[in-house]
Amino acid sequence: MADMKCNVAVVFMHDYLDGDLAREDSMQLKRHLTQCSACYARYESLERTDALVKAISIEKAPDDLGDRIMKSLPSSRRPAAWTSWVRRHPAVSAAAIFMVVMLSSFVSMWNQSRELSVSGPDLEHVVIEGNKVIVPEGQKVTGDLTVMNGDVQVLGDLDGDLTVIDGSVVPLASTAHIAGEIKTIDRAVDWFWYKVSSYFGTLAYGS
Amino acid sequence: MKPLETRLARLARRGDQRAFAEIVDLYKDKLYHLAYRMTGNRQEAEDVVQEAFLRVYKNLDRYDENQKFSTWIYRITTNLCIDRLRKRKAIYSLDAESSDHEGLDGYAMLPSDDRTPESELILSETQRLIHEAIAALPAKYKSVMILRYLQDLSLQEISDVMDMPVTTVKTRVHRGREFLRKKLEHKL
Repeated sequence: MADMKCNVAVVFMHDYLDGDLAREDSMQLKRHLTQCSACYARYESLERTDALVKAISIEKAPDDLGDRIMKSLPSSRRPAAWTSWVRRHPAVSAAAIFMVVMLSSFVSMWNQSRELSVSGPDLEHVVIEGNKVIVPEGQKVTGDLTVMNGDVQVLGDLDGDLTVIDGSVVPLASTAHIAGEIKTIDRAVDWFWYKVSSYFGTLAYGS
Repeated sequence: MKPLETRLARLARRGDQRAFAEIVDLYKDKLYHLAYRMTGNRQEAEDVVQEAFLRVYKNLDRYDENQKFSTWIYRITTNLCIDRLRKRKAIYSLDAESSDHEGLDGYAMLPSDDRTPESELILSETQRLIHEAIAALPAKYKSVMILRYLQDLSLQEISDVMDMPVTTVKTRVHRGREFLRKKLEHKL
């Protein structure tokens, strides 16, 4: 193998000091250093420089620096975490805000009507006592009956659906007869669903 | 399991102040040492460290856990130091790019502060010469050399911190080492 050029040797010296020289190249460098006194002196000088710089005293931070840093921090990280989540998920955030607005408007609409209301095509045969709507025994109510914010007791006949919103149905008496179905709606969400389905029902049947 | 710093960073991200205090404790001396050697000025070093921790704190959400925490915090600090040196350069207009390789640009001529805390009263002549030689390093070698020797980072880690190829880091370490050798050779 031809002998190494001195300029290559210098590059190898640095690589060697960096711990970045392959074993074979290291052997080659070693051979060169035994033959070239100038390069050997250069290597020694570089090695000494390395050792000196590594041995430099560590400069410690002032004792109170840690405390000063902690005091300089903004008081809370929570809002930052929240806003960054919003930044990362814009679509989800927009959908969530939309849902909140929708839901709150529905809830407020639902809360507006706390009073008892009874609706249906045939209310003549219905008796209202305080908060209670009664279909008396022996009476026949034709058509659907919808009661909001009140209880319902059916003793007679109901020829249609019974819908109770935010109220309860007193267990049916043996004399009762309801031709349609009984629906009880207790919560705002159900009420919302009822509104939607009745809206679509209206569309479908064109009533 | 993730390394300690990564776990602390995760806790701090959730608002745990004690976890962040531990991070400060782990790194304040290292960062101060880095900043002091970079700027050559104690007051500036303190400012840099304070600013660096503030940035870390504000950007915890952006810390990528696949990266070493030390790499991230060193990058923030090194960038702050380089920014300061750059501003200084602009203020004093000591720009001398042509002599970059000889290290005769403006930084070398800036006086370092002469406050001597007790720890430095017994600073040996040797130590003083080494400090001077490091202070005289051109900025682009200085950061690499400080990370390599004073913070004991590997070439790969320095490449991650400085965001430059390993080959560039190597070249700078070699040139920086030659620079220091020439500075120190005849004095020691």
